[in-house]
Amino acid sequence: MIRYAARRLAFALFLVIAVSSASLLLSRLAPGDFVTESLGARASRQAIEQQRARFGLNRSFGAQYRDWLASVARLDFGYSMLYDRPVRDLIPERAANTAILALTALVCATLVGVPLGIVSGSRRGGLLSAAIRTASVVLLSMPPLLTSLFLVFAAARTGWLPIAGMRSATVPAGGGFMDLIRHLVVPAAAIALPLAAMLERLQAQAMAEVIAEPFVLAAVARGVPRSRIVWHGALKAALRPVAAVYGLIIGSLLSGSFAVEVITAWPGLGSLMLQALRTRDVYLVAGCAGAGALFLACGTLVSDLALAAIDPRTSDARAEAA
Amino acid sequence: MGQILTGLNRRLLVSLALAALCAAGCRSDSTSRSTAGLQGAVPRGGELLVSVRSEPRSFNRHAARDTTTDLVSKLTQGSLIRVNQVTQAVEPWLAESWTTAADGRSVTLHLARDVSFSDGHPFTAGDVLFAFEAAYDEKSGSALADVVQAGGKKLVVTATDPLTVVVTFPSPFAPGIRILNDLPILPRHKLEGALKAGTFRKSWGLDTPLSEIVGLGPFLVSEYVPGQRVVFARNPRYFAKAPDGGALPYLDRLVVEIIPDQSAELLRLESGQLDMMTSEIAPDAYAPLKRAADQGRVRLLDLGVSRNADGLWFNLKPGALGGDPRAAWLQRDELRRAISMAVDRKLFADTVFFGAGVPVYGPETPADKVWYWPGLPQTPHDTAAAKQLLASIGLTDHGRDGLLDDPQNRPVRFTLLTQKGRPNLERGAAVIRDELKKIGVTVDVVALDSGAVIDQLLHARYEAIYFNADKTDLDPGTNPDFWFSFGSAHVWNLEQRAPATPWERQIDALMTRQIASTDEAERQSLYADVQKIFFEHAPIVYFVAPRIYVAHSVRVTNLTPSEYRPQLLWRPDTVAVAR
Amino acid sequence: MTRGLGVVLVTLALLAAVAAPMVAPNPVDAHFAGLLNAPPTIVRMAGEDHAWHAPFIYRWRLVSQLEQQYEEDRSAPTALAWFSGGRLVGSPDQAAPLLLLGTDSYGRDVFTRLLFGARTSLGLAVTAALGAMLAGAVLGGLAGFAGGMTDDVVMRATDFVMVLPAIYVALALRSVLPLVLTAPQVFALLAAIFAVVGAPFVARGVRAIVRSERQLDYARAAQALGASDLRLLIRHLLPAAGGFIAVQMTLLIPAFIIGEATLSYVGLGFPDPVASWGTMLHDASSNIRVFADFPWLLSPAAAMFLVVLGVNLVLQNASRGVKSIL
Repeated sequence: MIRYAARRLAFALFLVIAVSSASLLLSRLAPGDFVTESLGARASRQAIEQQRARFGLNRSFGAQYRDWLASVARLDFGYSMLYDRPVRDLIPERAANTAILALTALVCATLVGVPLGIVSGSRRGGLLSAAIRTASVVLLSMPPLLTSLFLVFAAARTGWLPIAGMRSATVPAGGGFMDLIRHLVVPAAAIALPLAAMLERLQAQAMAEVIAEPFVLAAVARGVPRSRIVWHGALKAALRPVAAVYGLIIGSLLSGSFAVEVITAWPGLGSLMLQALRTRDVYLVAGCAGAGALFLACGTLVSDLALAAIDPRTSDARAEAA
Repeated sequence: MGQILTGLNRRLLVSLALAALCAAGCRSDSTSRSTAGLQGAVPRGGELLVSVRSEPRSFNRHAARDTTTDLVSKLTQGSLIRVNQVTQAVEPWLAESWTTAADGRSVTLHLARDVSFSDGHPFTAGDVLFAFEAAYDEKSGSALADVVQAGGKKLVVTATDPLTVVVTFPSPFAPGIRILNDLPILPRHKLEGALKAGTFRKSWGLDTPLSEIVGLGPFLVSEYVPGQRVVFARNPRYFAKAPDGGALPYLDRLVVEIIPDQSAELLRLESGQLDMMTSEIAPDAYAPLKRAADQGRVRLLDLGVSRNADGLWFNLKPGALGGDPRAAWLQRDELRRAISMAVDRKLFADTVFFGAGVPVYGPETPADKVWYWPGLPQTPHDTAAAKQLLASIGLTDHGRDGLLDDPQNRPVRFTLLTQKGRPNLERGAAVIRDELKKIGVTVDVVALDSGAVIDQLLHARYEAIYFNADKTDLDPGTNPDFWFSFGSAHVWNLEQRAPATPWERQIDALMTRQIASTDEAERQSLYADVQKIFFEHAPIVYFVAPRIYVAHSVRVTNLTPSEYRPQLLWRPDTVAVAR
Repeated sequence: MTRGLGVVLVTLALLAAVAAPMVAPNPVDAHFAGLLNAPPTIVRMAGEDHAWHAPFIYRWRLVSQLEQQYEEDRSAPTALAWFSGGRLVGSPDQAAPLLLLGTDSYGRDVFTRLLFGARTSLGLAVTAALGAMLAGAVLGGLAGFAGGMTDDVVMRATDFVMVLPAIYVALALRSVLPLVLTAPQVFALLAAIFAVVGAPFVARGVRAIVRSERQLDYARAAQALGASDLRLLIRHLLPAAGGFIAVQMTLLIPAFIIGEATLSYVGLGFPDPVASWGTMLHDASSNIRVFADFPWLLSPAAAMFLVVLGVNLVLQNASRGVKSIL
């Protein structure tokens, strides 16, 4: 088990470096760089060359990459040209903001999506399951940009909730925590709604399949009550596909959502990365991509462990031990 | 101030009067008037909530030139003079008064007395010298280096006593001290060490303890929350006084919220969760704000026609198109003039700006009453004449399929680059494409992100671009980088060693005289000649200049709106909110 | 019954895509310059004179250009022309076009673009989803079946693809490709990108299913009976993942339709006048007036919903022939 975990962690590290490196390389292939973007069309060639030299962008990719790798080995992920600050200082703060949003959304989506999936999957053809399915498909057909925009629009029209940001400039009565919760509603809903729909769909499918299994039929024949079959017997087996993707969802949520964070002005990793991409701040992009890779690697690990717990037959750890 | 206005400043009085006329005329539209020049006492205190699209990149204006960094600098720092964005006149700020020497080359500025930085340290001429040193420092490569130059050369600045500074221009320079508007006077006592150590550009980064950031401006940075907001508090030591002798600024707090998305920004303004934006509103946002204005929730201001229009230009660098046989006609004047004739500017204004724009035929828009040459011919919309002009350079419809071909029977077709995500540019490019299709010219519009467009531009790897070539200041003398063939913003053929064409040589010569002359009438007539040459050769084809609209919440008062950014905040010390 | 509805929806979408040039009332590249963001024209039978007529429309008259407000011009009805000019129905008057779903901000007919967009978007999404399924099933099946080293390599490779920022890949591709790409080139490119991006999600699930199924009695029995590895994988294990793959398909298709707009944003989009649902929605969502004033611009989302619902209904009932037993 320890060997297994160690191996996975080693891979996670490798993944982080590989993804950051690939981002760095791709950024060099793309036209334009931080200097052309930040100086604009009017800058003189001399000023551009001077700035390139300042940021080390005039070096060959090989040299740039070697220096970067060497500093990564010292846990220094380079300097953000945009903020003139070490990338290492920028990411944790934004990642924490994204984590607040992602975990809230994940909890809500799970609490809504999985039970609804069990309901709609266990009773095919009913009006209720048709309604649930329709709602899911609606949410899945809406681009995240549009969903977020609609929620922001609704918040503006009703005036019930703040429209953008994470905290008010002046903390209102009720304290900072309530203020944060109020700001959380719109972005968390924008992420949670399609996610809940996706979980519902996966769970419904799995549930329907498990219910068709002979062991369920046998239980029915034995006279076990329906609700007990659904919520105890079948559920455990049916959690498998959801568990398989759950880790991925955690990983990708923690890397931040571009559309939602930008529209709701949530100061998270997604909007930081988008800004870095736009301004060609290569080290910051590499840092963000690396952070995303780390979250995903952890996510897949969690997924695999969850799968093993639900269904020991798939356990990698056991296979390793054997 | 009257007695110190010398010949150099006389034309500014003229423009002051003209611009004031324009300001009065432009704002008589159906939209509600601003409360500029409100009678009675201006309310003091309160908080103003404004939005920006992106974070500042630094608290040091020398390190970055983006609009948010510039706004932060305008709020926290002072400069020697201030160009009134409404009247275009040079107004005293840290310099109380100035006198110009007889040869017009040196200006003696008298600094205000008993002024101190926000940390209490007194302000002297040494700080002014330091500001220039910082701008000219080779090691740090300041973003302001090219701002405080005259004709590509540095100014010589000396202090004769702690309250007197003499600025000497390398050659006669008509724009004069108005270029000092953009140079913040920074605290020598805080930053001199960094400048000497060569780390000046890195100092005052966003992670600096806020108490280190001191200035002469109306506000102090009191809080910075990354990705969310910058909060400013009034600088109790701010030196300027209100007309009634009271302290400025009027506001207690000014909060700059970072809202990356335009729609969210608009919704906040519309629903009262924001007082103003720092940019003009997009054409499609006019209607909801008009509704909000009709309901009395916001005020919508029509600031008149913009002084900038987006333009189309071809890559005129000789040999830039390689062996492409189309170079024979892609770089011809006739092609650009034909395009100017083929595009219906009324349709352009209707499609891109929903009708809120005026046709433009040259580099100055009619909004500029001082520099716009009224004699400029107006290109008629005439597709037949456009076709005839193209036929004169051998582009005719050989195949009788409605599409033009060149003499070698290749289709007349080119790629037009534009910036992705800028609706005005994308829509404009689409109109150009559709209009040229009608005369048989095929245009492939390619929209890329701004970095990629600029990269193609700098490397002269493009056929044609539809982009913005905005001027930084009204006086043409402050835009040598655009006009001179060696200039870095001479976009159609950048930084030439020697003028590539006779007409560019002519413009160089005219602009050299125009910048050196101190005679107002002569400068205008020389600039009219430049506009005439520009019109004949059309290195950039302009179509329509939009009207500029801004909106703010009803509680904001005492504004002096100008159509330049930041339209409502260029004089932040006098903005007030009703309690 | 639900299956029948699904089949109807999918068939309708396919029909719309195939018959677009015949059904669309206007040419796909037509711009109506005076009709930016115009509302849908109302097809009427009852005239001002309270008598019944053949279907006719009124033209839109601009009330406020800056605010894009229109009102019906009741003075001149235009009778619709049926089966003329190779179209099912249209307006004979260029100045009074038949706009069943209004126009967008360029004055283009939304209904026409919706039909033509179905060709692009559905074609692309289905092609890409099939590609992702195939690649994902093969890789996931292989990894789950073989285990060990193969499993590790395949799964870690999918992890890598999943975390790589796709926008950067697209930006880099943009720089190495020629500036002007034809529609078929863009189609092939996008389909390939989506297939690669989508495959890991399929592969992970398939691997988990194959891995656990393999331990089941029937798999062991088949193996004991001498079934070859390949046969065991294809005939027994992969079908077990059928349900999962079907659901993934219903998730990937809308994701790809939307994703096309994102790649279009970095310059890998279809050249005009090719319409696509993703780009139509992307354009719509850049305008806050869409919800309050121009809801017809959201019609691609509605169309997408119907198609995804149809695919959902068809696939769900196709997989494993599940019966409700409770």
